[in-house]
Amino acid sequence: MIIEYYRPKKMEEALALINRTDPRTLILGGGLYINEVIKEPVAVVDVQSLGLTEIARKGKELNVGAAATLQSLLTSALIPLALERAITHQETYNRRQVATLAGTITAADGRSPVAGVLLALDAELELVGEGKKMDSVKLGDFLPVRDEKLSGKLITSIRIPVESTAAYHYVARSPADLPIVAAAVAVWPSGRTRVVLLGYGDQPVLVFDGPEKEGVEIAARDAYSGAVDQWAGADYRSDTAGVLVGRCLQEIEGMIEG
Amino acid sequence: MLDIELTINQETYLLPVHPGERLYAVLRRLGFSSVKFGDEHGISGADAVLMDGKPVNSYLLLAAQADGHELETLEQMGEHPHQGWKETRGLHILQQEFVKTGAIQCGYCTPAQLLAAKELLLREPDPTEVQVRDVLSGVLCRCTGYKKPVEAVLRAAARMRGEEVPPIEDPIQVPPEWMGTDISDSIPQTRTVEVDGSTLTAQRVITNIKVSNSPDTWRQVGKPKEKVDAVKLVQGKPVFTADYERRDMLYAKVLHSPHAHALIKSIDTEKAEKIPGVRCILTHEDLPRVPYSTAGQSDPIPGPLDCYSLDNKVRFVGDRVAFVAAESEEIAEKALKAIEVEYELLEPVLDSREAMKTGAPIIHDQDDYVYFADSDPTRNLAAEIRIDIGDVEKGFKEADRVFEAEYEVPKVQQAHIEPHAVITYWDEDDRLVILTSTQVPFHIRRMIAPVLELPVKRIRVIKPRVGGAFGGKQEMLIEDVAAHLTIATGQPVQYVCTREEEFYASRSRHPMRIRLKTGIKNDGTMTANEMYALSDTGANGAHALTVTGNTTKSMSLYVGDGPYRDAPNIRFYADIVYTNTPPSGAYRGYGVPQGYWPVERHMEFIAREMGLDPLEFRLKNTLRAGEIHPFSVAWSEGRDPVPEMIQTNALAECVMKGKEAIGWDDKLADPNWASVAGKPYLKRGLGVALVMQGTAIPYLDMGGASIKLNDDGSFNLLVGATDLGTGSDTVLGQMAAEILGVPLEDVIVYSSDTDFTPFDKGAYASSTTYISGAAVVDAANKVADRIRERAAMILESRVENATILPNEIELANCCAIAPDGHAVSLEDVALHSLHHANQEQIMAVGSYVSPVSPPPFAAQFAEVIVDTETGAVEVCKLVMAVDGGVIVNPVTASGQIEGGMTQALGYAVSEEMVYDEKGWAREINFRDYHIFAAHEMPELEVIFVETFEPSHPFGVKAVAEIPLNGVAPAVGNAVYNACGVNIKDNPVTPEKVWRALQQA
Repeated sequence: MIIEYYRPKKMEEALALINRTDPRTLILGGGLYINEVIKEPVAVVDVQSLGLTEIARKGKELNVGAAATLQSLLTSALIPLALERAITHQETYNRRQVATLAGTITAADGRSPVAGVLLALDAELELVGEGKKMDSVKLGDFLPVRDEKLSGKLITSIRIPVESTAAYHYVARSPADLPIVAAAVAVWPSGRTRVVLLGYGDQPVLVFDGPEKEGVEIAARDAYSGAVDQWAGADYRSDTAGVLVGRCLQEIEGMIEG
Repeated sequence: MLDIELTINQETYLLPVHPGERLYAVLRRLGFSSVKFGDEHGISGADAVLMDGKPVNSYLLLAAQADGHELETLEQMGEHPHQGWKETRGLHILQQEFVKTGAIQCGYCTPAQLLAAKELLLREPDPTEVQVRDVLSGVLCRCTGYKKPVEAVLRAAARMRGEEVPPIEDPIQVPPEWMGTDISDSIPQTRTVEVDGSTLTAQRVITNIKVSNSPDTWRQVGKPKEKVDAVKLVQGKPVFTADYERRDMLYAKVLHSPHAHALIKSIDTEKAEKIPGVRCILTHEDLPRVPYSTAGQSDPIPGPLDCYSLDNKVRFVGDRVAFVAAESEEIAEKALKAIEVEYELLEPVLDSREAMKTGAPIIHDQDDYVYFADSDPTRNLAAEIRIDIGDVEKGFKEADRVFEAEYEVPKVQQAHIEPHAVITYWDEDDRLVILTSTQVPFHIRRMIAPVLELPVKRIRVIKPRVGGAFGGKQEMLIEDVAAHLTIATGQPVQYVCTREEEFYASRSRHPMRIRLKTGIKNDGTMTANEMYALSDTGANGAHALTVTGNTTKSMSLYVGDGPYRDAPNIRFYADIVYTNTPPSGAYRGYGVPQGYWPVERHMEFIAREMGLDPLEFRLKNTLRAGEIHPFSVAWSEGRDPVPEMIQTNALAECVMKGKEAIGWDDKLADPNWASVAGKPYLKRGLGVALVMQGTAIPYLDMGGASIKLNDDGSFNLLVGATDLGTGSDTVLGQMAAEILGVPLEDVIVYSSDTDFTPFDKGAYASSTTYISGAAVVDAANKVADRIRERAAMILESRVENATILPNEIELANCCAIAPDGHAVSLEDVALHSLHHANQEQIMAVGSYVSPVSPPPFAAQFAEVIVDTETGAVEVCKLVMAVDGGVIVNPVTASGQIEGGMTQALGYAVSEEMVYDEKGWAREINFRDYHIFAAHEMPELEVIFVETFEPSHPFGVKAVAEIPLNGVAPAVGNAVYNACGVNIKDNPVTPEKVWRALQQA
């Protein structure tokens, strides 16, 4: 239940608000998740007037403002194909107009393709705290402890390395259904390979980050060897994870060669 | 409170809002009725508006977030082109095309689709189909299958670019030999059958209700007319239940049980009652204890009476515990949380296989349980069916091979986008008015009366437009909640279910475990067929007997060949058991899809095992015209059966047409077709299922209609039938217009209000076009006769020495035309009858009940690609060739079928409702219960193979439910064809396919 609403025009005002302890104060991006699930009394700080919507390529990185919507990312023509696929898989057209990238990351569960691909790409979040103190955190370090990392802080942007080549493959009951198991893989020119699995649990899981791709399929199978829930058995997820990682690698090789 | 400024449709509103108030609530408060509630999670998109030109879901936006933004709702888009002397801009081209193409069925999601399309066409004047489907992806539609909305947007785009678009034409070229009331000479006038030593006779049934003209002269029937309700729906007018408002209206909420099986030891409402704005809280201690059934069926209800408005026992997670009425929904929610309930937990029964075991907990142990037929609550048995036709054991002995297998079908949800909604109030005569989104207004009035301790005559039920129902509203589900609260408070009460309530406290399709045993001779002749169904009715037995009884229609299709055609050996046994899960009920198809999954999977398995051509094998054994419907001698919804003869059956033609459309012969003959280049793990497959359904319930369900001539020669057609978005108002209007010789626009159709419209059983059992249509024809003929008599009188007075026989007068072009060419307009007839001489109101009532239930037949095909490494199944194309008799309106009928195929596609691959060990539902929202969206649809193709069913004046049968029957088994068979695995329980999920492949 939302009991207070603020729309600050300055970052300092936003930070002052979210550093209050009573009432609990949350950042409101698009609001898709907060408006849906919050039952406790909270205040919200709407960041739409803070101007955090820029999407710009800077060297080997794409810098995306925290409040940039998923639809604006799609239409920017700057994002990797794998991220494009993940966005269109995760959200339908109406929701993409409102869903912000930071909000999507913050609310991600194990079935979030966008967070999965960003994790494979080794995205990094820029945060600002009281006194405008800047901080950065890798997405992989952020996801397991989101509340702690966001305590008194606000995500300002997401830096997405784009020098890698990435792919995203999934299995679902229908093309637009949430994934039962999915893989996101990114391969850097150096050979560095990151593999992320999703479809299970509270968040996408980084299962491999190494200088080369050897062993990634085995790592994927191992990582999901206990991934059982109401939606699928662990043996199925484990085997399919290996298959999907292999397909991601094959696609990436094709992209690199082609 | 916050003060915000919203610009809505170019007007500025300064508004005080609560910080947490949703934009949806503010827009609805301001009267923007085009903004609809679909779900709490922003998946349905029915709540969409344009914000700064982009479609957003208003239920998930705070009003404060929209402060300073430009909003646009559908009210801005266009308006009725004719409003008297005032010039209007008319409908937007998009709205015009939605009307023309039949993109609107129930119309509940139409506003959101139109807004999304408008945004697209402003930025992309020449969109691709992929782009159109992408923007429509945010708006779920359960009615259309998206084909026609996509077509509408593409046509509108072309017109907006200044291009010509082709007219919407009648796609059906009817072979003339199929039309007319004469049917093949090969069909006998009578057939006899021996049943339990008695000889029963089935007769050909040819309607004695005549239509004026021969089919080739029809101007209204068989034509793609625009829906009569399309213009109001395309404007987002306030036509649905929740759009209506009453002064001092209270809002109802229901406290639901968190336990699957428990006794309520105590309920403390004191804290909740003290919350400001709470007006009333009702518990089981406050209400009369009246056992009833929620099933909306004719009297007497064919099932046990095992429900109570509120009880001291809860029987499933989601069962009712208390009702609250408050000044707002938020206050009512707060009150629910403040009610303290002490439960004594009981062991639940969650698995239908455990329900009848000795020692199983008894779900209905109350003394006032009212039995029906063989119900036995001491064994958790809601109903049982034992039907033997012929001698099955003898048939098995005569077989060369006997095939046995077990199958399972899941519980699935109707998922109409408009949730259940009701408003109740006392009118000025102290009669209780129930405004409700229902399929069965007359049944509701009859059934709710004893529950409320009111006589029927003091209840009036009004059905506004219905935003989809699919069986889910063939139920007295929530009307009593609001009614009790209105009685308690004296105030109007509105109750609209949340989407979560739809999932855990509504109704669903019965899950079944089915065992099949089939005897076959080496030449493919079926000698005997036996089905046992263990059906799970959940916590209540509404529809328990009749849904599972209807599963017999899947066993009716195959009678065997040769001597077995005259004396088939068929057994159908079923136990319908109670469990502590949400009650099952009516869902489009009504038990038949549950039967066709096993039957058609079984037929495919047999054909493959015996090396038979799957289609030849099927057609060799299927029921044919001139034969007796096998179950008509044994089953009639719990009443005495009367043998029925099949008079029309174009199943063989359906197979032929469907094969062509899917490319059956070419693809299966091509060794390369099954493979996908560069992806050896992908395998293509084709599958088929042959199906039939019923059309209405013979000797039971009645439809009524009245027609009244107005001063200008137009007519009011009042029907009790309920248009759920199906287009029934339109096709009923077309039939009346055909007989009365006027365009459809001159027939003003209204449905339904128990005070004003004639009785009709309601919309279920694929009956409206057939039963209610025949009632309309009956009424129209009576009115036409009166018009002819008066026209003869007028013409004789105008033409010297003329003698004009009324029965020679033709009604056409809004005139009554004598054989000599002299004519009088219907307007003149009306003025004459109402004002000039021998004044009378030309008006008539018609009604109809059928002695038969002529089955539609269909061949349904599916093409799939199976990923043999992951088990993923992609459905690429679905084809349905259907013999539904004469198609009154090919646009609405094909829309019905496309929508039905899409629902059935979910049954095939994605939809199921699963419960954990405590009876909690896994699926309580559209995120987890995935229904198909516009951007993931396979190609859909519908082919009408028309026959003229002689038992109906216009030769119609049904098309509404049959599409649900064959998609899932056709997909299952296609997977079987693609990779050789035989999945025996649907949906065919990737994991099931993968596991089967592992074991292969």
